[in-house]
Amino acid sequence: MPSLLPLLTLDALRVRYGPLEALHGVSLTIEPGEVTAVVGRNGAGKSTLLRSVAGYLRPSSGRIVWQGSDITRASIGRRAAAGVLLIPDEGGVFRSLTVRENLELFAGHRAADLKLAFETFPALKELTSRRAALLSGGEQQMLALSRALLAPWRLLLVDELSQGLASALAGRLYAVLAELAAAHPDRSVVLAEPHPRAALAAVSQVHVLRRGELAASGSPADFDAATL
Amino acid sequence: MFYAGLALNGLAIGCVAALAAVGLLATYRVTGVFNIAFGAIAVFCAYVMWQCVRVWGMPVGVAAVLVLGVVAPGIGLLLERVVYRPLRGSGASGLLVATLGVLVLHLGLIFLLWGGRSYVDAPAILPAGDVRLPGSLRLPYSTIVELCVVALIAGALTFLLTGTRVGLLVRAVVDDRDLAAASVPADRLAAGGWAFGSFLAGLASVLWAPIYHLDPYSLTLTVLETMGVAVLARLTSLPVAVGAALAVGIGQTELTALHPAARWQGLVDAFHTNLFVLVLFAALMVLPRLGIRDSGSVGAGLHRSGARRTSKPDLVQRLPLGTFSLVLGLPLFFDPADLRAALAVPALAVIFVSLVVATGYAGQISLGQAGYAGLGALFMAKLAAGGVPWLAALVLGPLLVAPIGWLTGYPTIRRQGLYLALTTFATAAVVARFVFAQPVFVGGLTVSRPPGFTDDHWFYVLELGGLGLALLLVRALHTGPLGRALVALRDSEPAAVSAGIDVRRLKVFVFACAAGLAGLGGALTASAAEAFNPTDFDPVQGLVWFAAVAVWGVDSAVGAVVGAAALVAVDVGTVVGVSGLLIGVGAVLLGWFPGGISAVVRRGGDWLVASQDSDREAGPARRLSPAGRELAARLRERGAG
Repeated sequence: MPSLLPLLTLDALRVRYGPLEALHGVSLTIEPGEVTAVVGRNGAGKSTLLRSVAGYLRPSSGRIVWQGSDITRASIGRRAAAGVLLIPDEGGVFRSLTVRENLELFAGHRAADLKLAFETFPALKELTSRRAALLSGGEQQMLALSRALLAPWRLLLVDELSQGLASALAGRLYAVLAELAAAHPDRSVVLAEPHPRAALAAVSQVHVLRRGELAASGSPADFDAATL
Repeated sequence: MFYAGLALNGLAIGCVAALAAVGLLATYRVTGVFNIAFGAIAVFCAYVMWQCVRVWGMPVGVAAVLVLGVVAPGIGLLLERVVYRPLRGSGASGLLVATLGVLVLHLGLIFLLWGGRSYVDAPAILPAGDVRLPGSLRLPYSTIVELCVVALIAGALTFLLTGTRVGLLVRAVVDDRDLAAASVPADRLAAGGWAFGSFLAGLASVLWAPIYHLDPYSLTLTVLETMGVAVLARLTSLPVAVGAALAVGIGQTELTALHPAARWQGLVDAFHTNLFVLVLFAALMVLPRLGIRDSGSVGAGLHRSGARRTSKPDLVQRLPLGTFSLVLGLPLFFDPADLRAALAVPALAVIFVSLVVATGYAGQISLGQAGYAGLGALFMAKLAAGGVPWLAALVLGPLLVAPIGWLTGYPTIRRQGLYLALTTFATAAVVARFVFAQPVFVGGLTVSRPPGFTDDHWFYVLELGGLGLALLLVRALHTGPLGRALVALRDSEPAAVSAGIDVRRLKVFVFACAAGLAGLGGALTASAAEAFNPTDFDPVQGLVWFAAVAVWGVDSAVGAVVGAAALVAVDVGTVVGVSGLLIGVGAVLLGWFPGGISAVVRRGGDWLVASQDSDREAGPARRLSPAGRELAARLRERGAG
């Protein structure tokens, strides 16, 4: 039985970069067990939304509520401890560390579980002693996504997973995500996507951002994938 | 030829350098910041130690525990919390200015608290004796202890960073603090790193105490000079740094045994007393790059993000130019003593403006303006001594500095961030040691003012003329296609290259212009004082100037002029140390107000103008494209609805 409280509530969230405001008061809720897509063009505010939920950015006004408690001013570490995990669109890996060191960091104290990552992404197995800076874009994205396999989370925020990747690899990564979401029905996933067609099949809720405002929300059936 | 006795003396010098280099590298490895202020923190700790023992009468052991256990780590924790945590997103330039600020701040504190006096009775914790070796050689205990400490730190740190989980966490935090924060206690690890880094500075101060007099500048300079060893190790390898430090130390003393023909003796002496400076310079020239990440964006942290090149007509620019020149003309009505002090203002302003050209407009960090300024003064004096009229020499001297700036600009073409900053500093250090400190060049130099301008009033007017000329040149550099190219270079070098800008030529051109301007400033400084004073053009002075310009807003020529006036006014009106303290505080807090004071003023002006505009309902004042008009109409509709 789902709890009465939503997992995450954004209340009139405003975020600004210096003189520019990127989000003009966005309010939405994310329920436990949902897979949500946040779609919109470049510059619509998808990354800003995700980054402020994870604590990388400080909102200028509005509230972020996590299971009933206000986390608007909480640090990245506190949110991560509560279960918020962001996989950013770039820089999701420690570039100066090796693949194995990256995985060990992601796994925290349960360092024995690395084989989970190697089973899902066999390509990483041959690269364990290579520095992450020397990986290709796809390999880096696999390594970044391994974090979702190794670290504990309750809300996974994935920023433009498919950016700059071959469609076969992007499909593989989405399949991994879908498996993850299916394996843990109590957890929630938020995908930020400029081209939602590939992702739309897997999601249960869609939010459309346009110029920093929430333009529409609904189930995927409400939207024609071709027009998004 | 090799002398064992000299080698042992050299070992002592090498140990000091090795300790400094290990301190720099260890701090860099655990914090990600190349802490130029390491020496200044060490000197501050040494003064605290002196105060505890000589004034408050504590036992040496207790004082050492207090300094090593409380004061030094406390400084590190404070710096991390107040200075470096807000700067974690900014690039090499922002961090560099902050470390410069920390350096200036500590020097200012020493001057304020202890009057900058030097003491010979620094409390020593090590026994003073020595070990007798065969062949009537002696090895002091302090050298042995230092060698052991250096080896211990290098070994332990290497093991800690590569062999333990804590080391892995520390490396992760240094790599990407935000990303690490999600899985490790990043803030605590970073604080621990800084506490350890300044603990090392405190340790160095305790170990160095018996070797050096307590003096604000000597140790600070020693650490700055031994940066060459750290650069040789490419800021990564601790063993290379230790080995190089010991080798240079021994080489330095072995050179004293060299007795060539008499006319070369001066050169050899200059070599062996300044071998570390030479190593710094040579290492920076030879090594293609450091083993570190240099920040992508050159001006990050110095410039307000999204800074406009040409401002809207804001309040600063609406101030009539007349008001500005009137204020600068005020000293003409001061009493003679104040006017004499005010003579330093336009000269310093010209030097500051040269920094605005290099760093503010073109994004090239230059810590070496002191060297160019001194050369300008020197050339002017030499030309005048050679029979050129003083007024002509005042113009020709700085013009001769421009080619030198052109030449020294070449190594900077491929360099950015910290590497560029170190290169320019090394240039100034070499010039200071091999030109300004050599009697061959500066002995028997007389400086006087141009005839007709010997009176303070007239000379001040002449200086204002020079400043006006400099500002006109700067205006030409800031507007039109050239100004656009410079800002393109500052914002993104790859984008500038692909836009067809000849980045290589532009960089050396900017360095030549900045060097010429600094030369003019230096020539005016020397003329105002009617003497060539090498301490005016000390490399450390260049660091202070850079920090001051950064505080006032590195891309604002007006800010530079006001900053020069404020610096001179504070120096004259208060005790020594206050200006350093103010500049230091401003520079370390730059992470809180990017762009400096001028950006704050400009923002305030924008806000005032904007609120005035909204009062007046400015409608047709702006020229809009058809799409823009449509958008404005829509916005109005939305506002009404």
